[in-house]
Amino acid sequence: MSLVDRTQIKRALVALGAIALLYGIAAEIGRWALPHRIWMDVHYIENVELLPPYRSLGEEMAFLLESWILPSSIAVSTGRVLCGFVLGSAIGILIGLATGRALRLEYLAEPWLMLLRFTPALALLPLYVIWFGYGEASKILLIATNVAVVTLLGAHQGVRAVPQVYLDAATSLGASPRLAFWKVVLPAALPQIFTSLRIALGLAWVTIVVAELIDAKMPSLGYLLTLAGAYPRVPTMLIGIGTIGALVLACDLFALAVYAKATRWMRRTG
Amino acid sequence: MSPSGSPRIRLEATEVGYTYPGQTPTRALEGLNLSVVENEFVALLGPVGCGKTTLLRIFAGFLQPTTGIVRCDGASIEGPSWQKGYVLQEAAIFPWMKVRENIEFGLLAKGMEAPARRALSDELLTLLGLSAFEAAYPKELSAGMSKMVEVARVLATDPSILLLDEPFGALDAQTRARMQDELARLWEQRRKTVVFVTHDVEEAVYLADRIVVLSPRPGRVKQQFSVSLPRPRSLDTRFAGTFSSLKREVWQVIG
Repeated sequence: MSLVDRTQIKRALVALGAIALLYGIAAEIGRWALPHRIWMDVHYIENVELLPPYRSLGEEMAFLLESWILPSSIAVSTGRVLCGFVLGSAIGILIGLATGRALRLEYLAEPWLMLLRFTPALALLPLYVIWFGYGEASKILLIATNVAVVTLLGAHQGVRAVPQVYLDAATSLGASPRLAFWKVVLPAALPQIFTSLRIALGLAWVTIVVAELIDAKMPSLGYLLTLAGAYPRVPTMLIGIGTIGALVLACDLFALAVYAKATRWMRRTG
Repeated sequence: MSPSGSPRIRLEATEVGYTYPGQTPTRALEGLNLSVVENEFVALLGPVGCGKTTLLRIFAGFLQPTTGIVRCDGASIEGPSWQKGYVLQEAAIFPWMKVRENIEFGLLAKGMEAPARRALSDELLTLLGLSAFEAAYPKELSAGMSKMVEVARVLATDPSILLLDEPFGALDAQTRARMQDELARLWEQRRKTVVFVTHDVEEAVYLADRIVVLSPRPGRVKQQFSVSLPRPRSLDTRFAGTFSSLKREVWQVIG
């Protein structure tokens, strides 16, 4: 049993190929149709490739790899994302499970949640910088906060959505609240918790790029993009965007695989 | 048997009333009296919304009567316990557990060690002909089979009282008849005090020793029928003249 079946892979490859081909054609047309000289605030910039052809992208990629800029940026940013994700999801899931079970806790947590739920990461950043400094802590805590809010909601709603019949059945079979929690509530809430983890993982990547744009230091993917914008170097930007996209996709596929493994019971064939 | 020679009363409802709270409170039961004796199979029969399920949930300990008293073995019922095995109307098999884990859940709750749990679940799996499905998830079972697993899960802890809430209500006629046979067979082997809620007259006549017909809401005991059909019951029972005439009698009371 494979997670993604053959037809899905084939379709994805065809779609990717089509985009690559279209881009190639657009870039070739752009070479003579698009301006090479653009006005930026105070002066003209020469030799700009608005749609860099594959050759330029290849050269840029070779440079970024050879100089170890890209690999080390990936390593540093991924490290931050994972730290923040693990920390945030641990806190979020624990609190979510608790508030899902206890009404009083829910009353206590709800206003905070309402506040944080729609607060953009960027809005918290200045505050976190003041509180936790310019270093790693504020970046990781910013990710953790976002992840915690999403996973808290997922765990909370997951626990709340556990059908009463399962709880009644467990109680009448003599299960203690503890056993019912581990063997009934948790597994029943797991699909929703996993869904929120997946969303949170994507959000963590969005957050890290934002965080790295503010306090910019090399190596990091966020700063790579900031630098590319300052020059400006379109090939670097495209490679940076593509790299982040690929990393998010890889994370998502991994999350999906774990999810499928953990919820085998939901599918008819297992 | 009690010393006096009459069968021991296991479950007893005295002047039981239950009103569901809310903006428009619903009186589900009122002034209901019923007692169930040791190893008796009682079918609670009545129209939809007559409070059959409410009464069963009161016996199970999930609801406290608004008025009146319910007792189990003479003591007032404080809450659910495994001694009163309860099979819910809805599908309550745990979909994240394999069949065997489902059956062993109550034993796990009792704190039984794995080998003992396994021995008991083996026995039940064999008894119900489900051995081939021990490692299957409920998704892979038919509706009838998963209901049987739920019954087995309750039987595993060996409660002396069984409360069954329309367990076969959602099944097609054929599966239903097969499940009834299966339940009748189980009951012959392991006598228990059973309260069986149903709205199906034939099912009630086929399974029960006594049929208790409830009136429409608020439910109270409208009439009772003693079923003296011989046991074990079989296909022949279903076509016996006495079976049909009793069915007709019950129908007339319900309608």
